[in-house]
Amino acid sequence: MTPPTMAALFAVAVVIVVIGFLAFATYNAVVALRYRIDKAWANIDVALKQRHDQLPNLVEAVRGVMSFEQDVLTDVARARAAYSSAAPIPEQAAVSDATSTAVRSLFAVVERYPEVRSAANVLSLQAEIERLESMIADRRELYNDQVYRYNARIGQVPAVLLAAMLGWKARPFFEASDAERVRPETGLRPET
Amino acid sequence: MEHPEYLALAGGGVAAGIVLLVRGFLSYGSGMRVADTAPSRISSIAVGEVLVSGIVEPAEVTLVSPLQSEPCVYYRSAIGHSDGDITRTTFDEERAVGFRLRDETGDVRVFPRAARFDVPDCFDERDGSFGEGPPGLRLRYGSAYGPGTDRESQVAALLSVHPAAAEPSSGGIGGWSIARPTIGSSGRGRTYHEARIGPGEIVTIVGRAMPFDQLDDPTSADVGGAGDSLVDDPEIAADMAEARAAGLLADDAEDAWGNAAIPGFGIGRPVREPELDPAAHEPPLATPDDAARNERTFGIRPDALVLAASDEVPLIISIGTPMAVAGRSQRAFLIGLLGAILAIGSAMALALLLGGQLG
Repeated sequence: MTPPTMAALFAVAVVIVVIGFLAFATYNAVVALRYRIDKAWANIDVALKQRHDQLPNLVEAVRGVMSFEQDVLTDVARARAAYSSAAPIPEQAAVSDATSTAVRSLFAVVERYPEVRSAANVLSLQAEIERLESMIADRRELYNDQVYRYNARIGQVPAVLLAAMLGWKARPFFEASDAERVRPETGLRPET
Repeated sequence: MEHPEYLALAGGGVAAGIVLLVRGFLSYGSGMRVADTAPSRISSIAVGEVLVSGIVEPAEVTLVSPLQSEPCVYYRSAIGHSDGDITRTTFDEERAVGFRLRDETGDVRVFPRAARFDVPDCFDERDGSFGEGPPGLRLRYGSAYGPGTDRESQVAALLSVHPAAAEPSSGGIGGWSIARPTIGSSGRGRTYHEARIGPGEIVTIVGRAMPFDQLDDPTSADVGGAGDSLVDDPEIAADMAEARAAGLLADDAEDAWGNAAIPGFGIGRPVREPELDPAAHEPPLATPDDAARNERTFGIRPDALVLAASDEVPLIISIGTPMAVAGRSQRAFLIGLLGAILAIGSAMALALLLGGQLG
């Protein structure tokens, strides 16, 4: 083999190594991104479940005194009943938004009842639910950021070439769809 | 072959290009990890892989960097000795201690054991033509650990008398002397490299958040410090042999511990009952403020989340914001691609030289 042939083979080998590395690294990066999205979603789900479990305690703690505020209590109960961890992500986002709104309304009404507001168990429940609301907001932001990175990655070269071959599709953000925004009650099923 | 130096140049180009390419590949991998991970707020991190970015705060202790004597939580320092065409490393040390990372929502403890650090050199100098040290060189004397992080320790450190700053001709690190090149030795001298992370600097960390009680061994969370790499330094070994020959150093540890024979100073346990001075005062109890500060400094709840390396998720600590870190790795990858072009070009030139079509 002549030196020029060897040099040409070397050049081809370097190019193949670079292309192979890019394909390998991109595939691994996208797979890691998908797992990160799943993990971010699982973390949101944990917080949603915790809030779901705390809401009956809060409603129960204020129900006796706030018997004249049935509408607010019903809203909270209805939003809670609409929660389903198996629902599509946009629907869960709509339910989560409705729950947050109902809980905020309940807290606003509680302010009008000093005897309820100062009760120790109500205070601790309120603090816990506010902590969970804050956690859900933070984790939702993290999830959406992760989804954005994934969607952007599979839309760019070189991942877009692999996406076409391997069937990678964009993931949904944790946000209510336009249809659900127009009809806020869509995602909520009455408590049975 | 009329010009063997061309052959060497082309061969060097191939080797350098491949080295640059490999470095680019390595940097690309860690850069993608940073670019593809959404940053978490510290107050809402969950167990598992996270990326957090914030400002470094010292925890229990700080380090003092060997070459510039700056307080830090991590340093990597090296001194190279150029002697003609040969350069050898005479001092190379990397050390890190645990620290806190703070963002606008809270702070988290970081245990840097087994971490990979992406910290460019902040001090990269060499001796002058006449052997004088470079500006900014302020070799460390004394302990590698800085004063405590509480106010009293900082005040005590300010009021203490310290040895004068190192003279370039009599530098030392940790008590070890470093011989200097002689004046007029043109082309000979030392090169100095130091990278460090100091309090107040912004870092980006990708790693695993886990409850403190799940750390394998929290007591050995620091990097370096356990061994004594100085003893491996041939120059220092020569100094030690010289001191031993002059009778200044014992031949072995058993001889060195001769004072242990003095009653009251036995190693392992005292050989007689201690005599307590009746005039001695008992130390005062800590005030509630002191207790709270000590609790904050040393007490970590078992369920508190901390950042540490794990088998599944390596800990990468990079200086700068996530965007800066990703940009740095992208640049390194581009340089790697240029290295590939250099390697191919050099291989072509080498082939032409060997075929007699060049030179």
